[in-house]
Amino acid sequence: MKQLCTTRDVPAGGCHRIELADRPPLAVFNLDGRFYVTDDTCTHGEASLCDGEIDCDDGVVECPYHQGAFEIATGRPAGAPCSIPLRIYRVEVKDEAIYAAIDETEAACP
Amino acid sequence: MPVIEIDAQDAVFDCAPGDTLLRAGLRAGLGMPYECGVGACGCCRCEVIEGEVADQWPEAPGLSDRDRRKGRVLACQTRPLGDARIRLRLDPRIEPVVRPARRTARLAAVNDITHDIREFVFRSDAPADFLPGQYAMLALPGLDRERAYSMANLPNGAGEWHFRIRRVIGGGASEALFSQLAPGAEIGLDGPYGMAWLRTDSPRDIVCIAGGSGLAPMLSVARGVAAEPSLAGRRVDFFYGGRTPADICGQPELAALPGFGEAIHYHAAVSDADAAHRAGWSGQIGPIHQLVESTLGERLGSAEFYLAGPPPMVEALQQLLQLTHKLPPERIHFDRFF
Repeated sequence: MKQLCTTRDVPAGGCHRIELADRPPLAVFNLDGRFYVTDDTCTHGEASLCDGEIDCDDGVVECPYHQGAFEIATGRPAGAPCSIPLRIYRVEVKDEAIYAAIDETEAACP
Repeated sequence: MPVIEIDAQDAVFDCAPGDTLLRAGLRAGLGMPYECGVGACGCCRCEVIEGEVADQWPEAPGLSDRDRRKGRVLACQTRPLGDARIRLRLDPRIEPVVRPARRTARLAAVNDITHDIREFVFRSDAPADFLPGQYAMLALPGLDRERAYSMANLPNGAGEWHFRIRRVIGGGASEALFSQLAPGAEIGLDGPYGMAWLRTDSPRDIVCIAGGSGLAPMLSVARGVAAEPSLAGRRVDFFYGGRTPADICGQPELAALPGFGEAIHYHAAVSDADAAHRAGWSGQIGPIHQLVESTLGERLGSAEFYLAGPPPMVEALQQLLQLTHKLPPERIHFDRFF
């Protein structure tokens, strides 16, 4: 598990982009106090999901360019034109630090 | 003429009478997000902040319930009734290289390609200005909505537009073309549109994959490679997938290109095994994405891909390229028609 940031970095209903060397950026989401980590780049085109709109009621993030959408918890595509799932990562929160299993092999989209 | 302002983007454009927000924005050279232009993909969603608009297709499949709840409209289906202010995110990377324009075109010739695909050649007074792989909107007599068809030929000063259209029984547009339109008949032609055009600045080998009437734009891309001096000798692998052997097409056109058999290669597969056996087909049997994977092998990961065909084919190819082989989406070019 790698520490990405702290819970204070991610506002409720918001997200925080993490740039790491040698890999595509990650997005950390805060949905009502639950934290999720996904790839930050939309699977439909080169756009940062952290610049998109988060819909807490639906648990969905929308891409800023085409408003295609993904379920944050599962990575499942939730709106056209997105059809390829977003990669998600296992998350642990310990003493306000957010960790993600970024080296684990990809979990299948449920 | 209505003036449209894009909120917080410092962009203003005029919208000619009858034009949609999308087409007027593109005519002004703006990087308006879109793919299909016909209400299906949802890429051109936007919000109208001020002003009155008319939605020409409120039930368009490109809008989800969540979009409707949020008051979104499709720029490709919305006409302003006066000045308006809208919200969307412009993308400078997709500003149109050739700005779309309306023309009148006349049917010049009709040629049979397969049992259900015909080539329709139209001629316009103005030059046929487009990039290989793009499409145009055709306004056909007797139909309320325009239809998108891709050009199979290359841009030319003679104003020739070649379309390959598949006859769909009960499909209004193809019926109008196949049975009602006679040589000399006039239609409206608006274009070019589409994002899946040939990137001549890419240093990569090129793979074109077509199914159904997706043959047209892929032929245009392959012809564009052969005609571009800076791409001389570039390897092109051209795949065509059909259900039965009678559906297979495209090889004669590719064989006419310089470099065929050396730099340019044609591969075909038939998905219906029974039909293949009945017809004595000795070629590959199976979905086209399997043939793509087995033929390209190691080369798959370093190529630039162009796709056009039925949605299940495009979907399977996206899975193969993006999920299995981790290609970034910027290397896979297609316009999504559902």
